[in-house]
Amino acid sequence: MTVFVLLLAPPVVAALLALVVRPYRVLVGWIAAVLSLVSIVGALGLWSRVLAGEIPIAGPGEFLRADALSTLLAFCVSLVSALAAWLGPGLGADDGYDPVQARRFRIFANLFTFTMLFAVTTNNVGFMWIAIEATTITSAVLIPLHVSKASVEASWKYILIGSVGIALAFAGTVLAFFDFVNVAGRHAAALNWTVLKAAAPSLHADVVKLAFVFLLVGYGTKAGLAPMHTWLPDAHSEAPAPLSAMMSGVLLAVALYAIIRWAVVTSAAVGHGFTERFLLALGLLSLAIAAFSLLVQRNYKRLLAYSSIEHTGLMCVGLALGPLGTFAAMLHLLSHALGKSMLFGLSGRVLRRYGSAEIGRVRGLMTAMPWTGAFFAAGALGLAGLPPSGIFISEFVLVRAGLAAGQWWTMGLVLALLAVAFVGVLSHVNRMLYGTPSAEVRVGEGAGWSLVPLALCLSALVVLGLTIPAPLERLVAQVVEITAK
Amino acid sequence: MRDTFSQLSILGSSLALVFGLTLLWRRRIPAYINAFAAQSVVLAGVAALVAYFGREPELYWVAALLLVLKGVAIPSLLRSMERRFGTEPQLEPYVNTAAWLVIAGLLVLVGYVLFRPLVAVSKLPTRGGMPLAMGLVLVSLFVLISRKKALTQVVGFLMLENGIALLAMLGTYGIPLIVELGVFLDALLGFIVMQIFMYRIHETFETMDVEQLNRLRH
Repeated sequence: MTVFVLLLAPPVVAALLALVVRPYRVLVGWIAAVLSLVSIVGALGLWSRVLAGEIPIAGPGEFLRADALSTLLAFCVSLVSALAAWLGPGLGADDGYDPVQARRFRIFANLFTFTMLFAVTTNNVGFMWIAIEATTITSAVLIPLHVSKASVEASWKYILIGSVGIALAFAGTVLAFFDFVNVAGRHAAALNWTVLKAAAPSLHADVVKLAFVFLLVGYGTKAGLAPMHTWLPDAHSEAPAPLSAMMSGVLLAVALYAIIRWAVVTSAAVGHGFTERFLLALGLLSLAIAAFSLLVQRNYKRLLAYSSIEHTGLMCVGLALGPLGTFAAMLHLLSHALGKSMLFGLSGRVLRRYGSAEIGRVRGLMTAMPWTGAFFAAGALGLAGLPPSGIFISEFVLVRAGLAAGQWWTMGLVLALLAVAFVGVLSHVNRMLYGTPSAEVRVGEGAGWSLVPLALCLSALVVLGLTIPAPLERLVAQVVEITAK
Repeated sequence: MRDTFSQLSILGSSLALVFGLTLLWRRRIPAYINAFAAQSVVLAGVAALVAYFGREPELYWVAALLLVLKGVAIPSLLRSMERRFGTEPQLEPYVNTAAWLVIAGLLVLVGYVLFRPLVAVSKLPTRGGMPLAMGLVLVSLFVLISRKKALTQVVGFLMLENGIALLAMLGTYGIPLIVELGVFLDALLGFIVMQIFMYRIHETFETMDVEQLNRLRH
C-alpha cells in the first residue's frame, strides 16, 4: 500500500496545493517539483518489490496492482513528469508565462501525471479506461496555455478525435465484458485484468476479436498510430514544451500499455497470430507515414511529433515479433521516453530564444545557444538511432528479433524506413545547428541549473546505449513473460 | 413477460436510433439538441426497463443520472451556448438527405452483420436491440466525420456515447456501477472542456465552422 501512496499521492497533493494557493506563488512550483521526485521513489519501490518476486497489490478487490509491465510504465511516467515539473513554468525564472498560466499548468499537469500513473497501476480495465479518458481532458486544457488560433485549433482536434477514439475503446471494453458475462455471469471483479485473462481461453473467439479491433482503434488513436494519428502533430507541436514532453514521452506509451494489456487477453483467447498481424500492420503503416512526413517538415516541434509516431510504430512492430521483439519494444519505450522528453524540453528553450518554431527561422543554434545546441544535436543523433544511444540498442535487438522470426522482408522495410527517418531528422536538425543567427537573436547562453535535468536524461540515454543495467534487464524480462504467456 | 421485456427493449433501441438519424435530415442546431435530449430520455427509459425486468436495482441510479445529466443538464448548456452564438446560418451538408439515409441504412446493416456472432452467444432477452445500438454508434461516428460545425460534432459525440451506453445496458445489463459513475464523471468533465473550447473557438475565429480550422498542415 505504501508504495502506491508514494507513487500516486504526490501529483494529487501538488495539484491541490496549486489549486488552493491563489494567486500563484513560486514556492508552489518548487514544492511540486520536489514532490515529483517522491513519485520516482515510489516507482523504484515497486521496481524492487517486483524484482523480489512479488506483485504489489492494494485496495478492495485487488484494485491496484503493479506487475513488471505496470512498474516499467510507472517509472517512465514518473521520470518524465518530474522532468516536466522541473522545466515547467512558475519556478521563478523569467520563462514567458504569467502567474495565472503557471498556476493552471501546475494544477493540470499534476492531474495529468496522476491519471497516467493511475492508468498503469489499476487492475480494473474499466478504471484504466476512465483514467486514459481523463488524460485527454487534463492535457487538452493545457494545450492553449498561450491562446492563439493554432493552439485553439490543435486543442479542439485533440479533444474531439481523442474522445471519439477513446469512446470506441470503451465500446471494445463493453464487448469484452459482454462476452465475459455470457460465459461466467455477472460479478464485480469481471473487469479485473487478471480475472479476464484467466477466463480468456473460455471466451468466444468471434466476440473477442471484434472487441480487440475496437480497442486497438480506440487506444491506437491515443497512441498516435496511423491512420488515426492526424491530431498528434498538431497537439504535440502547439502544446507548451513541458506538456509536449509528457505527451510524446509517456502518454503515447500509456495508450500502448492499454493495447498490450488487451492484446495479452486477446492472445490468450484466440492465439498470438491474430493480435500480431494487427500490431504489425498498424506499426508498419505508422512507421512509413511518419518517416516520409519527417522529410517534409518545416517546423521542428512537428518534426519531433512525427518522430514520436515513428517510434510508437516501431514499438508496435516489436510487440508483434515475439518475446525478443517485445524485449526490444520495452527498452525502446524507455529510451524514447528519455530522448523525446529531453528534446521537447530543449525545443521550448529554442522557441523562447528564436520566437519561432519554423526550422527555416532557426539558424546558428550552436553559436546562439551553445549548450542547448549541443544537447539538441546529441539528442537528435540519439533519437535517429546512432550509437551510443539506447535507441540504437533497442532497434538493433528489434531487427535481430525480426530476422530470427524469419521476417526478412518486413525487417528490410523497417530498416529502409528507419534510414528515411534518419535522413529526415538529421538534415533538418543540421540546418538549425549551423549558420549565423539573424541579428535580432541574442547570442550566448550560460550553463544554468535548468540544464541539469536535461543532462541527466542525455546521460541515461547514453548509458542505455552502452549497457543494459541488470535490474532493468530483469524487469523487462519479466514484462516479456507477462506478454508471452 | 420475457417477451414484453424483449419487445420493449427493441422499441427503446429503435427510438434511440431514430433520434440519432434525425441529425441526418434536420438542418438547424436546436433540432439537434432536442433530438439528443429525447434520445437521452429514451436511454434512461431503457435503463429503468432493464432495472425492473432484469432485477438490477443499481440501474435505477444510472437511469436517474442519465435523465438529469444527459436529458436535462447537457441539453440546457448546449441551448444556452446556441443562443449566445446567435442563429448560425443553415448547416451545409456535403451530400443530400436521400444519400444520407441510404448510407445510414447501410451502416445499420453493418451493425447487424458485425453483431451476428454476439446475438448468437447471448441469452439475455434484450439481445435483439444490440445491433441497433451498434447502428447508432456507427451513424454517430459518420455524423462526426462528415459535419463541420463544432456544435454538431459535439452532439454527434454525445450520441456516440449514448450508443455505447445503450450497448452496455442491452448486452450486459450495465457495467458495474462504480465504473459507470467514473464514466459519467469523465463524460461530464469532457463535455465541460469541449464547451470551454467552443467558446474559445468562437472568440478566436469568430465562427463555429470547423472548416476555418485549417491553419495546421503538415
